[in-house]
Amino acid sequence: MIDRASPASPPVGRVVATELKPATPYQFHFWTAQETTVGIGAIVRVEEQSKGNGEGGRVVYGVVTDAFAYSDLATPLHDVIGAEGDPARAAEAPTVRQEIRLWTAAVLRQIPEEPLQPVPLGRVLVASDADVAQALRMDAYLTGAAPTGIPIGLYTSGGLESPVYLDADFLLGPEAAHLNISGVSGLATKTSAVEFLLASIFQHFPVHKGKIAAVCFNVKGPDLCFLDQAGTLSDEDRRRYERLGVAPRAFERVRYYAPFKADGVNLNTLRTHPDLAPTVEPLVWGLAEVLDYAEVLLNRDDIDAKADAFIDFLSDRVLNRDFEDGFGGTHRVQSFADLDRLFRAIIGGLEDAGRSDMWRTHHIATIRKVRNRLSNISTRCKGLVADDGQSSDLPWGAFADRTAYIVDLANVDPLGQDLVFARVVSKLREHLERRDLGVEAVVVFVDELNKYAPADGPDTYVKKMLLDISERGRYLGLVLFAAEQFRSQVHRRVVGNAGTQVFGRMDMDELATPGYQVLSPATKIKLATLPIGELMIRHPHFTQPIFVRFPRPAALRGRDGVERFPPAADLPFAEAVVRQLVRLDRGVRPNLVKDLIADRDEVDVRRALAAVRRARPDDVTAYLRKALGSRVAVDAPRARPVVPPLNPISEEPY
Amino acid sequence: MRGKAAWTERIVDAGAVPAAFVPAASGGRSDVEEIAGAELVEEERVAVHAVAPGGGPATVSFLDGIQRWAVVGYDGVVPIVRGYVAAAARRRGADRRLRVAREAARELAVAPLALLRAGVRRALEESGAAVIDLGAEAAGQPGRLLVAAQQAVNAERVRVETEVAEAVAARLGAEEWLVVDGLLSESAKLAGHPRALGVIKSHSAQYFEGADLQTALTCPGGTRTSVFRPRGRARHEVYSWYLRLWPWEGNDLLFGLLRIEARAHAGTVATATGVSSWLLAERAPLATPDARFDRLLYPIHDVETYLRSRAPRDLLLTAGSRLPKTGT
Ligand SMILES: Nc1ncnc2c1ncn2[C@@H]1O[C@H](COP(=O)(O)OP(=O)(O)OP(=O)(O)O)[C@@H](O)[C@H]1O
Ligand SMILES: [Mg+2]
Repeated sequence: MIDRASPASPPVGRVVATELKPATPYQFHFWTAQETTVGIGAIVRVEEQSKGNGEGGRVVYGVVTDAFAYSDLATPLHDVIGAEGDPARAAEAPTVRQEIRLWTAAVLRQIPEEPLQPVPLGRVLVASDADVAQALRMDAYLTGAAPTGIPIGLYTSGGLESPVYLDADFLLGPEAAHLNISGVSGLATKTSAVEFLLASIFQHFPVHKGKIAAVCFNVKGPDLCFLDQAGTLSDEDRRRYERLGVAPRAFERVRYYAPFKADGVNLNTLRTHPDLAPTVEPLVWGLAEVLDYAEVLLNRDDIDAKADAFIDFLSDRVLNRDFEDGFGGTHRVQSFADLDRLFRAIIGGLEDAGRSDMWRTHHIATIRKVRNRLSNISTRCKGLVADDGQSSDLPWGAFADRTAYIVDLANVDPLGQDLVFARVVSKLREHLERRDLGVEAVVVFVDELNKYAPADGPDTYVKKMLLDISERGRYLGLVLFAAEQFRSQVHRRVVGNAGTQVFGRMDMDELATPGYQVLSPATKIKLATLPIGELMIRHPHFTQPIFVRFPRPAALRGRDGVERFPPAADLPFAEAVVRQLVRLDRGVRPNLVKDLIADRDEVDVRRALAAVRRARPDDVTAYLRKALGSRVAVDAPRARPVVPPLNPISEEPY
Repeated sequence: MRGKAAWTERIVDAGAVPAAFVPAASGGRSDVEEIAGAELVEEERVAVHAVAPGGGPATVSFLDGIQRWAVVGYDGVVPIVRGYVAAAARRRGADRRLRVAREAARELAVAPLALLRAGVRRALEESGAAVIDLGAEAAGQPGRLLVAAQQAVNAERVRVETEVAEAVAARLGAEEWLVVDGLLSESAKLAGHPRALGVIKSHSAQYFEGADLQTALTCPGGTRTSVFRPRGRARHEVYSWYLRLWPWEGNDLLFGLLRIEARAHAGTVATATGVSSWLLAERAPLATPDARFDRLLYPIHDVETYLRSRAPRDLLLTAGSRLPKTGT
């Protein structure tokens, strides 16, 4: 897409150097005509006058970082005198004073690179496509046998537009990895930029690097709920897509996951319009899945080795085994309900005996605490955690190439968000380590990073995990794309490890924080007033930040999505069950199902539904009937469907 | 308290105009050198006319020249001078910005050729510079030769200025004016041109005596004098008048005082106030940091700056310490 045959243009400026403003190997100054297309962020090419022996001189590429204008006025007072104190007359002077437009540019690249010398006092030209590629060292990864360029946007200056590419080896590993994007809400286009970049990655990820997928956590309203639907694009944006070599289409392969609402049958997502709903798969975990990540729950505010040990005991010795409680009862714990029965037996047994506070080396207070936390999650994340121990999960081991897996957590309790996040990322990591995920690389997109890896606050499990990905993920192919409004509010090492940093419109106060000291005042002003759709990019190959413009995502915007596909009202229980079954088998007859479940307890129906979902039988109705029948007979008297926490308000451990 | 007041204040109380002026250090003022004499053409006695700043012609070209010279060698005690002269006209149009309309420059090699050794002389002749032979009259004393060299360079500057000015005047648009820094009377073509003006900043020649002199030299800011025909040195006949750009009281008698030259023609008398009016408007922008800003029109200053920026760098060294300059 790089246009290599741009015609030679006349110079637009000339490098000047004085003792006070000398040219150095990293910075230079040049002047231009009053009317010029040069502006902050413009990329220019400096040509040394050839030495006359046929040898070409040094060529330097730079990016404009600052600008000055002044006239030959010696002191402002002289203007007052000339106008005799009347500002109106100042504008009427018969001659306009000599003025200068003086620009400061930071060196992007020198050719030859060695020996490194001050920028020659040569002529200045605006950069062509090929110049931009050279200046940003993109030639190294756009050409050759195995190019790795990923289009990110168009560098735009004075009517010229040149595509800018990131290097997949540095964006997605192994050389460097991760992307962080920050900027104010609504104007910084953070979510949109990530959507566009994901589309670009899916279309341009080089075949020789293998397969890639994305797991996106949707934490904000309908943001990512309609990625598979086409939005509307202006002709201008279509042209930009063409220039970037990216096809302007919605994501072709997207899979949606959402937990249920508290009723256990309606999905907790805004993507519930009848035309779309069957495409959302429930995300449901059982006790085993939760216990594996119980650390997330316990370590949110405190580290407790005793509780950890008790949880380990539960997972290793109790879960899914025949277990004797020591007070005469036998338990086979598969669900939260089973577990609570066990807890009650232990605590009741200890109290009745009244002799000891210890049960198998565990103190009753520890047992109470763990019970409290576990029941807390089964209440707060009711739709995510199944009572019956059966789970419905992401397709571990069968991830597909260039597919986006959207996990919708927008309406899930923060505790549940943490749990999902911890488990999904840990599973990704596990499978990537074993090389059996189905793809070689996964981009994990986390919006609102400041919530999960705040700069201050306790070292939670999730924060430690994000740090771990950002430090070691690139070797595994586990790549973090994260967005936040204020970079300064995110843990320094998490943002610091992002090889590619993107900035949209920024807040002035944020720019005044120490993290932005390297930027010139002019660049800060540009960032603070950046138009929608423009971004500033830092990437390992670019020696300086570069401004680009990217087209609107081709997929339907969340906000437009909920207008075009308004969420359906929650279905009554029976209807929702039918809806679920129809997803599995279009031949299911609704009335038959409704009759089947008519006088059954909802818990049983949910359990039967989960069994059907897991088995994916040929005859859904028959399987449901069987699942309902068998369980009801065995299970009397039943536990209460939901165990209330002992002390739902207090967070105190004992 | 009055008794204690400084005498400098008491003379003002008695009617003198206060001034503040320190003549150049090189031995007093050299401005007033000759009494040239003049013949009034507008009125019987020198009178003063108020002028209000006003709009001028849409297009005006401004002309100025520069000269540089330096001794670059001695053959025995005979100095060899390298000179550089240049002139440019810059045209100001509707956008109020100045752009070069025409320019010329010349490198000079100045020496009494007859006094040079053959080899040195050949090197001069082959230098590519215009060689100016000083003749042997000034020979003998190096100091005298230097005066002669300076005069030769000066004459070359006038020549190149005149060349450029005449070329521009010949192609001047129907509504366009030409303003020349210095005398108009050096050239017949310029002196006779209906839209050419000379603007003179130095007043070494005086044209009046007695009461007329006082009226002329004390005219207040924003006034002009009656038009007169200067007598004396002028090569070609012109009309002239004084124009005061800035009030001189508190400065010096000649502060802000210009003498304008224009074609010797009845029309000049008729247009003197109009022309003065747009020249007065040229006070802004101020031609600072030039010390002569009170008389230097900004466009002329601009032409000079332009010429200086194009002069050979090695001739720009200002007199001063010969020690290398160090960091600021
Ligand atoms: N390339 C673009 N050109 C023009 N407008 C765009 C572009 N990309 C996004 N927009 C518009 O900008 C708006 C904000 O975008 P987006 O939701 O991505 O911002 P955000 O930074 O993620 O905001 P928040 O912090 O609130 O999540 C959207 O309405 C979108 O339509
Ligand atoms: Mg967003």
